[in-house]
Amino acid sequence: MIRLIFFWIAILFLQLVVFNHLGFTSHLAPQVFIVLLITLPLHISKSYQMLLGFLVGLVADLFIGTPGIHASACMWLIMLRFFLLGAQDLKEQIANHLPYTIHSVGLSTFAATATSLVLFYHLYVFWLESIGAINWIFILLTTLLSSLFTLIVIGVVQLLSDKASGEL
Amino acid sequence: MQRLIAFIEHNMHILLFIVLQGMCGVLLFSLNPYQQASFTHSAAFMTDKSNEFSSTVTGYFNLQEQNNLLQAQVATQFKNDARSSLYFMNDTITLRDTSRRKLYDVVPAEVVFNTISKASNVFIINKGTKNGIQKNMGVISSQGLAGIVIQSNANYSSVMSLLHINMNVIPTINNFEYYTGLKWDNGHPQTLKITGLNKLEEIKVGDKVYTGKSSLLFPEGILIGEISQLETSPSSQYFTTHVKTATNFRNLDYVYVIINKDIDQLLPLLPDND
Repeated sequence: MIRLIFFWIAILFLQLVVFNHLGFTSHLAPQVFIVLLITLPLHISKSYQMLLGFLVGLVADLFIGTPGIHASACMWLIMLRFFLLGAQDLKEQIANHLPYTIHSVGLSTFAATATSLVLFYHLYVFWLESIGAINWIFILLTTLLSSLFTLIVIGVVQLLSDKASGEL
Repeated sequence: MQRLIAFIEHNMHILLFIVLQGMCGVLLFSLNPYQQASFTHSAAFMTDKSNEFSSTVTGYFNLQEQNNLLQAQVATQFKNDARSSLYFMNDTITLRDTSRRKLYDVVPAEVVFNTISKASNVFIINKGTKNGIQKNMGVISSQGLAGIVIQSNANYSSVMSLLHINMNVIPTINNFEYYTGLKWDNGHPQTLKITGLNKLEEIKVGDKVYTGKSSLLFPEGILIGEISQLETSPSSQYFTTHVKTATNFRNLDYVYVIINKDIDQLLPLLPDND
């Protein structure tokens, strides 16, 4: 449990201090912290997952200065996750209180789910941020680049944490 | 009730989702300047649209009143038109301002019954002898000539429309009057014909046809229509001229009856008066 809390704080810290200020190019704004929501343990009730999504999003919003955008996006992500996971056979993982990781569901399933969620999340956030001055080419390019970066980081984090704990 | 509670419990996350998304929306549009501007913009757009819609709806309620006002205005304008005045020569000098007086009076009226499909088309208007309307008075619409009153009682009058086979108007084209008669031949309800125009006359398609001086019922220069076709045949030296009526009799609603105030004095002076 302590390890889990530490992991959450570490990811949020990395997101808020490092990933939000990469500054290589304006097309790179990866939202790595959503790995926390993607890998949420499966046995938690849907309402709690929704609340958790809202709170995590709100924290991200507070630090980025975009009230509402990430909170809204996180809840949509949770909603989409319900939808995607509803089509997968996860009885065993639910029974064992396992999180949704490469280790618990296998690489291909996890990769497919994570890719959809990450792409969706970035697209939604960048679209919402640019309401009032929408430039679709910029949005799509930023989405692709940031999603790619995020997916790589998520993969690395998964492999590392799998080795370290076998839990996350 | 229990079912309801069970349903809510089962879908609690969706309920939560909707409520929290609402909160996000409030945060988003109240605290982010760009989105706020965009929201205000689209809100203003919506308000505009709904106002526009409601005004189109409520606009109908006083349409009748507006129509009456407009009709009265048109009638006044018509009365004040130079064409409906006569010049009286007192001495050798024409005193325009003081000696001009109105020859024609104009009464606005509404069409209550109308036909266009018969050979003798007549329409009925809602003004009669109470308003000073009598037989043989000219009727025009705001587009042009409409007909002649043939009968009237206290409140209503029937008007022989241009689309009547007995109707005969003397047309003026390019300031020349042609005493050949403009008639309707029971054909298309917006086409009149002039049969006796010589091919040597300088007329062409698109020329306007007006009323002339040869009628006491109408002031000079009321639009009748426009020449739409000049039919020729090699064996004849005359055109069959098609005239498209200025007045659309299919939707004739508001007309003006023209009262010649001096008709009693003018008629006895005509030689062929009987």
